[in-house]
Amino acid sequence: MPVLNIQFGGQTKSADGSVVDIPPAFALAQRGPCVQVLLGVAQPIARQLLQQGKTLPQPVSGLALIDTGASTTCIDEDAAMKLGLPVTNVVTVASASHSAAQGNVYPAQIEVIGLPIAINALNSIGAPLAAQGLIALLGRDVLQHCTVFFNGPAGSISFAL
Amino acid sequence: MLEEEVRYFEEHLKDLLARSRGNFALVKGSRLVGTFDTQEEALEAGARAFGLESFLVRRVEEAPVAAYVPALTLGLLRAGS
Repeated sequence: MPVLNIQFGGQTKSADGSVVDIPPAFALAQRGPCVQVLLGVAQPIARQLLQQGKTLPQPVSGLALIDTGASTTCIDEDAAMKLGLPVTNVVTVASASHSAAQGNVYPAQIEVIGLPIAINALNSIGAPLAAQGLIALLGRDVLQHCTVFFNGPAGSISFAL
Repeated sequence: MLEEEVRYFEEHLKDLLARSRGNFALVKGSRLVGTFDTQEEALEAGARAFGLESFLVRRVEEAPVAAYVPALTLGLLRAGS
């Protein structure tokens, strides 16, 4: 099983203008466990489009946050529209403390860059994620196929599919 | 989105449950295109017939399963901004 190791970190400017390194543990805690992904058309749809001689939309790349709290994967609604993904269902997004909302469902394919396998996320819910610098939240419907190791002290994650 | 398809599905759910419980219904407009054993088959049939137009693919069951995404519903993604 191929494993993708991601070391978090970065640089910022201090008050006096000098560049300082961000400790990896702090970077991971602030950003959250993210992986770079390509968002595309799910295989069952793509197969049919190709058989009909149509061109597939170019995948859209961006950051996906690994979200073990989410039962279902979400994708950025604008990215879904850019890809031309069809809406194939409408679901209730439930909450214990807030009123439930409706979300459009898109059949997407998610490829984690650095791993040779793509996952069909056939029930991806459209949500406004771009403002947070994200293209997707990887929920448990996708994570059930993955192994994730969150190393907080080292500021790294390992992701296997 | 898909108001007409969802309305059709809900109005015909009793019949669908009797004939195709656990399968996936493909609905376009006010028409049942077919029922399929798997979601993949239903999506393929939908794409074959309608390309990238929207269509409804829903599992035939009493009540659809809700999704839980606390980061969205509790506004946690915006907590730091």
